[in-house]
Amino acid sequence: MWNHNGGSSNHVCINCRLTENSGEKRPGLRHFCFLFKKDCRVMAAGKFFLIAFGSLLLYTVFIHFGYINFMNDELYHVYLYDPQGTQREASERIYVVASLEELYDALAADTGGVGIDASSGTPNVVFYFGSEKVDHHRADYALSLLRADTGYAAKTIGTNTRELKQQKEMSCELLFIEITAVGFLGIASVLFQEKQMGVIRVHGVLPFQKSLFVLSKIAVFLLSDLVFAVLMTVCNVGFPDTIRILPAVLVQTAILSLIMALAGFGCTMLMHDLKQFSLVYLVIAVFVTAPVFLSANTSVKMAWIDWHPFYQVYMGLKNAYFGTPVTNPIYYVCSVFGIAVLFVAVQRLFCKEMGKEG
Amino acid sequence: MMEVKNLTFSYGKDKQVLHGLNFTVEDGEIFGFLGPNGSGKSTTQKILTGILKGHGGKVSVFGQDISAAHEQEFFRKIGVLFEFPYLYTNLSAVDNLKYFSSFYPAGQLRDIGEVLEKLEFKPDFLQKPVSSYSKGMRQRVSMARALISSPKLLFLDEPTSGLDPSGAVLFRKIIEEEREKGTTVFLTTHNMSDADLLCDRVAFITDGTIAALDTPKRLKEQNGNHRIRIDYLYQGSREEKSIETRELEAGIPFPYDEIISIHSEEPTLEDVFIRYTGRGLA
Repeated sequence: MWNHNGGSSNHVCINCRLTENSGEKRPGLRHFCFLFKKDCRVMAAGKFFLIAFGSLLLYTVFIHFGYINFMNDELYHVYLYDPQGTQREASERIYVVASLEELYDALAADTGGVGIDASSGTPNVVFYFGSEKVDHHRADYALSLLRADTGYAAKTIGTNTRELKQQKEMSCELLFIEITAVGFLGIASVLFQEKQMGVIRVHGVLPFQKSLFVLSKIAVFLLSDLVFAVLMTVCNVGFPDTIRILPAVLVQTAILSLIMALAGFGCTMLMHDLKQFSLVYLVIAVFVTAPVFLSANTSVKMAWIDWHPFYQVYMGLKNAYFGTPVTNPIYYVCSVFGIAVLFVAVQRLFCKEMGKEG
Repeated sequence: MMEVKNLTFSYGKDKQVLHGLNFTVEDGEIFGFLGPNGSGKSTTQKILTGILKGHGGKVSVFGQDISAAHEQEFFRKIGVLFEFPYLYTNLSAVDNLKYFSSFYPAGQLRDIGEVLEKLEFKPDFLQKPVSSYSKGMRQRVSMARALISSPKLLFLDEPTSGLDPSGAVLFRKIIEEEREKGTTVFLTTHNMSDADLLCDRVAFITDGTIAALDTPKRLKEQNGNHRIRIDYLYQGSREEKSIETRELEAGIPFPYDEIISIHSEEPTLEDVFIRYTGRGLA
């Protein structure tokens, strides 16, 4: 009936594999392996890897069949009113109108278009609706069509096709979201499960270095994020470009993943339950990712955004995708320092959690 | 094995929960630590198991100050059964025990199957996830986890909680067997029957101080009224009389036809506890 019989010949000892493999020369490494294996099993049981794979599929479908088509709009139409004929080198893409009224009518019908009123001899940009901060790029584009040989001329930077640029842009953004939001929630759900089961307290009386518990959790999420980054890049950027940009992308992914996993770990130790944690998640979403996306992807510039650590990490990731990785050593020193501080704080919170009441 | 001198502990500046505890636990002894909720029982156990730091006074375990002890070496020698069966509910009993035992040197580990069999764990559930277990089965796995590393010092918090009467008897038998092997047991419980049957000595803790410490027998003797109640038949009617114990020395000191029963009026351990602490164990 049992898998053992306390010493008879057909004894199958459940501990045997452990016994055979348990050299005590490097117990730290051995303990880490056991913790890592257990964490992988718990995450697999919680369908975490399945959810990550589902996200990857969804993102890939969105990039290839949604985003690229959605972004494939024509450029803005530019309308020129130039009664004196001062703009002689104007591009063929410009629609010339005969009167100011016709210019306003054209803009009323095509609200995304850009008007140029050159009746005074100097081109003045006219929008149906616009914002001084947001619409510089529309104005720049319109003016660039007036004189192709002057400073207004748009230059092509890099070798990316428009499609590839869009693929890289969106891959970067979705990878950032996946790690900041999904990864952050992922570590919280695993840890809250362990908190509810009470097993964190059991680890308090087990003979191993307690920092290994934190390390193992972080390692599982780091590895998972790195694999996700590789698959995301290969699926959406294509293999040849991936080879070129992957090392830099992985470095930035690792920095972001470590920060988010440690932040998620710390918040889980501080919060009582997943409901409280959801509030923190909301703060992260609103105050961390929103300004970063606004500053990085639109013309909205906030004076303080350069001091926002996640903006720096996001730009690091974006630059990595576009083949111009961050080379400033201060960025890497600050990242390592930040991760080290978070690790020490998390370790203390974890030790405090182990001593809590049942 | 364990020596506690003037142990104090505070949560924050104003919340002192332990006010100078003094006691010793001898090698191979089963020491009961009894107290109502909020008396400082759990805090004391956490300090003794090395989870809670920052206490005042001196705590020596295995002849070494617990603050200076090498953590991993210390944890290798102890086994802890928590008040609740803390287990990975998505893993099976075997996987839980394999995982938790993996942190101990192989040489001190017992066979998982053997320990579970001793605890009368249902073999059909060996590979099923803990989430499908009854409370009693979870408690058995938790006990197995505490025993698997052959600890020299065993901390048991409410070991028979969630067990049916036969399970409680089994657990008491196993605790006795551990003691016979030389294991020291620090037992925290609300169950007076467990304490009375198992413990060599018990300490009553209330409001962070030890109100009494002695063997259960002596505590009951000291607090008894030394009286005996006798039920008897006399001239066709049933009667009951209470007399001083010493009155019996010369035989039954009243006329009777038949003695039905004789009971000592010795107090229970719970009566003694209430007498010392003024509170029940709820």
